[in-house]
Amino acid sequence: MNDNDLINTATEVGYMLLANGAEIYRVEESMQRIFRAYSVEGGEIFAIPTCIYATVSTADGRPITKIKRCHARCTNMDKVEKVNDLCRRVCRERPDFCVIRAELRRIDARPTYTFLEQVMAFSLVAFAFTLFYGGTFSDAVCSVVCGAVIKVVAHQMDRFHANSFFTNILASGAGALVALVAVHYNFGLNSDKIIIGALMNLVPGIAITSFMRDLIAGDLIAGLIRFTESFLVATAIAIGAGAALTVTRAIWGV
Amino acid sequence: MRYLLPCVYAFAACAAFSIAFNMRGKSLVFASLGGAIGWLAYLLCAPVQNDILQFFFATMAISVYSEIMARVRREPVTGYLLVALLPMVPGGGIYYTMEYCIVGNTEMFLETGLHTLGIAGALAMGILLVSSLVRLWHIIRMTRKNA
Repeated sequence: MNDNDLINTATEVGYMLLANGAEIYRVEESMQRIFRAYSVEGGEIFAIPTCIYATVSTADGRPITKIKRCHARCTNMDKVEKVNDLCRRVCRERPDFCVIRAELRRIDARPTYTFLEQVMAFSLVAFAFTLFYGGTFSDAVCSVVCGAVIKVVAHQMDRFHANSFFTNILASGAGALVALVAVHYNFGLNSDKIIIGALMNLVPGIAITSFMRDLIAGDLIAGLIRFTESFLVATAIAIGAGAALTVTRAIWGV
Repeated sequence: MRYLLPCVYAFAACAAFSIAFNMRGKSLVFASLGGAIGWLAYLLCAPVQNDILQFFFATMAISVYSEIMARVRREPVTGYLLVALLPMVPGGGIYYTMEYCIVGNTEMFLETGLHTLGIAGALAMGILLVSSLVRLWHIIRMTRKNA
């Protein structure tokens, strides 16, 4: 067995989990289990949302360390699920490392929903949340447009590799603007319900609660990183929607 | 009807979000069902007259459901929690906090902001309590088996 191969493969597995939105403890535990499965005790792993550090000691006591940066994270539960399955299999069967890598590549190539399907998903999120927060049916229909606008703007900004802070400001501003215009021309009734429903698309649900979970679970640095992240997202959304509100109030003088 | 409609909306919202999170097949349906169950728990807890407590109990219901589903369907609990919690996220609170900030109503801004933080805290405590208990139970069972 080759220690270099082991640490490379384990880091790849951990990276796939981290980059697709798994929790910190899942990343650390999965890698630790892979180390143990290949009878390497005392491997050390430190994962934070932006980076993974892993170290193992070879039989003659030489440490090998690998650092893997994680620049972009998304939420893809399908891949987390499949990598988790792979982990269980690795611990059970201890396959060859090239088999694990081939499997990882296969998981990485799994299909995602198309752009059009995602736009529709965003619209449906906006529609359902507007009704959920007590909007009328016509509010919900306006919200569908807002949801689609938010997705299109966010997608375009991603193509230009804009940072997520700026992307969120623009997307939330555009969504709120559409909602306010719709209400001004009497297509919708409650601009607040439309905006809240549509902006739920940008609120990365768990981000607000996950930092507390990380903090209380003892992953202090990970918790702080996620807190900063969710704080930035919330601020960006507020700035965008706030700008749209201020502009329309200045023009129409509500 | 008073209970049914909001839960249906919560289910639809969660299902749509599952697509954004690239979930497929049965896990999409079961995860969204968690959202509906959570909101039902929230509505049923209305007699406690304190919405932070309501959120706390609803989150516990969701966590228990997610832990059970993750074990039954042998999938990570992450996706179930992530999706089912979405209706609980205080989107309205964040929005009204921002609006009060713009209008310059500092008193309401602070009050709404703190209330929103309280809800976020209640959600975190609810998940944490259940997942800690599950881990504890797991460890106890393991040590019993080994002993």
